[in-house]
Amino acid sequence: MHQKFEAIISNIEKVMIGKREVAQLSAIAMMAGGHVLLEDVPGVGKTMMVKALAKSVGAEFKRIQFTPDLLPSDVIGVSIYNPKTLQFEFRPGPILGNIILADEINRTSPKTQSALLESMEEATISIDGQTIQIPKPFFVMATQNPIEYEGTYPLPEAQLDRFMLKIRMGYPSPQEEVEVLRRAENNEPIITLDSVISLDELLELQQEVKSVYVEDSIKAYIVQIARATRKVSEVYLGVSPRASIALMKASQAYAKIQNRDYVIPDDVQYLAPFVFAHRIILRPEARYEGITQEVIINRIINKAVVPIKRYAEK
Amino acid sequence: MKNKAFHYTELALYYIVIFFILQEWLIPIMDLTKTGHMELILGFIAVCLFISLFNLHFIISWLVKLVFIAWFITSVYSDVPPFSSSGLQFVLFEMQYNLITIFSGRWLEITDPFRTFLFFILVWMLIYLIHYWITVRKTIFYFLVLTIFFIATIDTFTEYDGTYAMVKVVLLGLLVTVFLYVKRLILQTGITVNGQKYFTLVMPAIILIGLVSIMGILLPKSEPQWPDPVPYIKAATGQGDGLDGNGVSKVGYGTNDSRLGGAFVADDTVVFHAISETKQYWRIETKDFYTSKGWEESNTNPTESVYFDLNEQINYSLPTGLEEDTKTATIKQINPHDFIVQPYGLKRVEFEPYLEEQHEQVGLLMNANTEKIYPYADNRIVKLMDYSVVYSKPTLLYSQLQSDPAEEIDQEVFEPYLQLPDTLPDRVGDLANEIVRGAKTPYQKARAIESYFSRNGFRYETDNVAIPGEDVDYVDQFLFETKVGYCDNFSTSMVVMLRSVGIPARWVKGFMGGELIDSTGASKTYEITNNNAHSWVEAYIPEVGWVNFEPTIGFSNMRNIEYDIETSSPEEELNPEEEETRTFEELQQENEQQPATKNNTTNFFANIIEMINKNHVLFVIINLSILLAGIILLTTRKKWLPKLYVLRNRNKSLNESSFESMYSQLLKVLEFRGLKRKDDQTLQSFAKEIDHTLGTSDMSKITYAYERYVYGNYDGNIDFGKLKESWEYLINRSTS
Repeated sequence: MHQKFEAIISNIEKVMIGKREVAQLSAIAMMAGGHVLLEDVPGVGKTMMVKALAKSVGAEFKRIQFTPDLLPSDVIGVSIYNPKTLQFEFRPGPILGNIILADEINRTSPKTQSALLESMEEATISIDGQTIQIPKPFFVMATQNPIEYEGTYPLPEAQLDRFMLKIRMGYPSPQEEVEVLRRAENNEPIITLDSVISLDELLELQQEVKSVYVEDSIKAYIVQIARATRKVSEVYLGVSPRASIALMKASQAYAKIQNRDYVIPDDVQYLAPFVFAHRIILRPEARYEGITQEVIINRIINKAVVPIKRYAEK
Repeated sequence: MKNKAFHYTELALYYIVIFFILQEWLIPIMDLTKTGHMELILGFIAVCLFISLFNLHFIISWLVKLVFIAWFITSVYSDVPPFSSSGLQFVLFEMQYNLITIFSGRWLEITDPFRTFLFFILVWMLIYLIHYWITVRKTIFYFLVLTIFFIATIDTFTEYDGTYAMVKVVLLGLLVTVFLYVKRLILQTGITVNGQKYFTLVMPAIILIGLVSIMGILLPKSEPQWPDPVPYIKAATGQGDGLDGNGVSKVGYGTNDSRLGGAFVADDTVVFHAISETKQYWRIETKDFYTSKGWEESNTNPTESVYFDLNEQINYSLPTGLEEDTKTATIKQINPHDFIVQPYGLKRVEFEPYLEEQHEQVGLLMNANTEKIYPYADNRIVKLMDYSVVYSKPTLLYSQLQSDPAEEIDQEVFEPYLQLPDTLPDRVGDLANEIVRGAKTPYQKARAIESYFSRNGFRYETDNVAIPGEDVDYVDQFLFETKVGYCDNFSTSMVVMLRSVGIPARWVKGFMGGELIDSTGASKTYEITNNNAHSWVEAYIPEVGWVNFEPTIGFSNMRNIEYDIETSSPEEELNPEEEETRTFEELQQENEQQPATKNNTTNFFANIIEMINKNHVLFVIINLSILLAGIILLTTRKKWLPKLYVLRNRNKSLNESSFESMYSQLLKVLEFRGLKRKDDQTLQSFAKEIDHTLGTSDMSKITYAYERYVYGNYDGNIDFGKLKESWEYLINRSTS
């Protein structure tokens, strides 16, 4: 495993118990320049996860707690008239940070949600005709409670598409939960967490991930899976080409994590459910029958033909 | 043990069908073994099925079945009342006796009641097996296939006609198969099926079976495309006696000629060796009564036997040559025979001296009618191995042959040799008269008929020779319809035609000259095999006597004619002494080549088809062997293909260009081993699986390199040398 990744992940593990995979996936998204949607019930450590990640990379960490009355300006920032200078002055919002925790994103109004999501995609904000570049690295981790809960605004499909990965936290196992309690007896260990890599190193890693080689046959494999999602009868809307790009980039990061400078089908297979599942919309009938998006994606992977030769133009 | 899968009524329905199928088993068995009491045996089957249907306790089951068997045996095989002490005694005695017989190994002494008992046990076991097939395996496919094979075999090899049994079995069997399959499907998937759903599941198959059966019955059926294989098998295994004249016989000398025709297969078994100066025909007997199907001994003359002492001049109907021209031929037979082979001009027969010492009276017995000569010692016909024949070939004077007969032949004396069946079609006589038109003397007429065949499109062939049907005359069929045949056809036709034009003639059987195998000085050794068995014609020419003629195409006669007058007839061969040396095989080969050379300008494909038709057995064998070889190669490819790969790549170095193909070969070899990569499985996970199974790490090693090569931006820094080792190791592991 890549040394720097290993450092980050084991650092996170100091505070998060039994969540190595979540930490790894988060790191993948961060390195690939994407954003993560953490979905689960409250209290399983979503916030802790993000905090630990931010601390590990020594990044500026900002948190936006989404509430129904939060306004877009509360996220982006606002121009205020300064009587001294007789000019409007821009007061940057919390979005202008390195690692943003957008907590309970589905509890705010769609207006505010889209303000966040647009800036996520463009990595810029526009205000008063001015375009301001968000400093790099820029990594958003949004958390949401499953939509079955009351008082939520489900994210529109187009905006879900902007998250590279959707990860479920899941409950810890009994032993892990005991360990969690044991640690909670003492001080919060998160305070003592140190950074293991610098921001510059992080940016360098992101560049390295981009240079990971993706053979055309692997690209074709990704496309094969993506196209398959559009043909399943239970699916109302399949994944977009943006999703295919996301899967490729995530695979590159995953390959890098494993110290490999080329992507293999295993990377794609592993990441496809995390990248694609939240981007497909099931037909209501399928939902009633209890079919989930993950089931569909796994079924597709079990049918997709793995390339074992170099790509040949057909 | 209760069967929850089946409701009683459902199982009962299956059993009823099974009962009908078993009945089809029983019918031919009863029929062919001439066994009676079928309804009682069917009753036993019904009882067995009933018991297994309700899963009765085994004590009851055994009791009922044993009582049934005991009752059957006593009531069928003894006069005593079945349910009495004497009946019981009978059964117990039978059992005791037969058990002792079996333990002492005297299998042939087992009595019928015990055989019946064993048969019942067999039925009992069969029913148990069927019960198992239906309730546990839920398929009776093997049973069905077995039944079909059984009926087909019985139908082919015996007179039992299994047409309707076959239809019935296939129909019933398919229905049961369908229902059982649906049953299995339901049980496997665990779905609950109501009446309507079951109906939709079963109906398509039933409709299909119905349609197929109706189609099968209604469609016109072609005649069998291949000749009946049974005679071939019989002939090949030596079971055919070749005497019934039916189908294919083995070539050779036999005594029964009552039904001629049909193909025969070559047989190069050596019959005897003849040490003589010249090659000649060996006469054994003549026949004179033509039945329209073949030849029999004349029944007008009472069979007379003539006895000759050893060294006594044999006196019979054929002319002999001068005493000073006598020659001796030594006959050495491979197996002892009871006949003497006669060269033309036979004068005496000499036996080995030891025979005279062993037997009081040694001589020869000749059937005056057929002129077959038997060795005779101590008042009975004996079989001899070796003997010598002394002969002097008569020289026929051409002038005598050609002369007009001074007087009419005596109709009474020659009556047997002028006999013709009443059923002989008129056109045979008409043809004979047509042929001899213009010929004045009997000899000219006979010559005309003798040479008729070679000029009128007749063909010598041993395959595809017709057997005349019930109302068909053998000669008529040959002359006008088939025009294809072997010596019997030609010789018989000539005899019949000669008789039609009033020339006495008879049919002669024997052997041709054979093949020269050894030659020392004047004495030559000829080997005469069964292939040399032959038939020809003797016609009575007034003033000369019986003269032999050879009508068969490809053979020429061995008459000894002295041309004492000028011959003007261009038909006469100038060198009649020349002997034909062609044998059966040569003739056959010639026939095979004939169509190819004759028709090569007309139609190539027609030739091929004709050739295939001619040699279909050979073609079938060739095709079957190719198919068989293919199947063997296909099924054993797991064994030889990896070795081939290794062999092909042993000296090839593993490098950039060969890596991909060699890795593919490795995958294929592993697949043969049963380690198949599924299409959706990545190479890495597959490699782990393989390494786990084989307990190595080589597959991962190779796969890692391969992944780098295939998916990576290959930069040429893979160490192939080490991989070759792993590759060979893996190939060898998976082939061993």
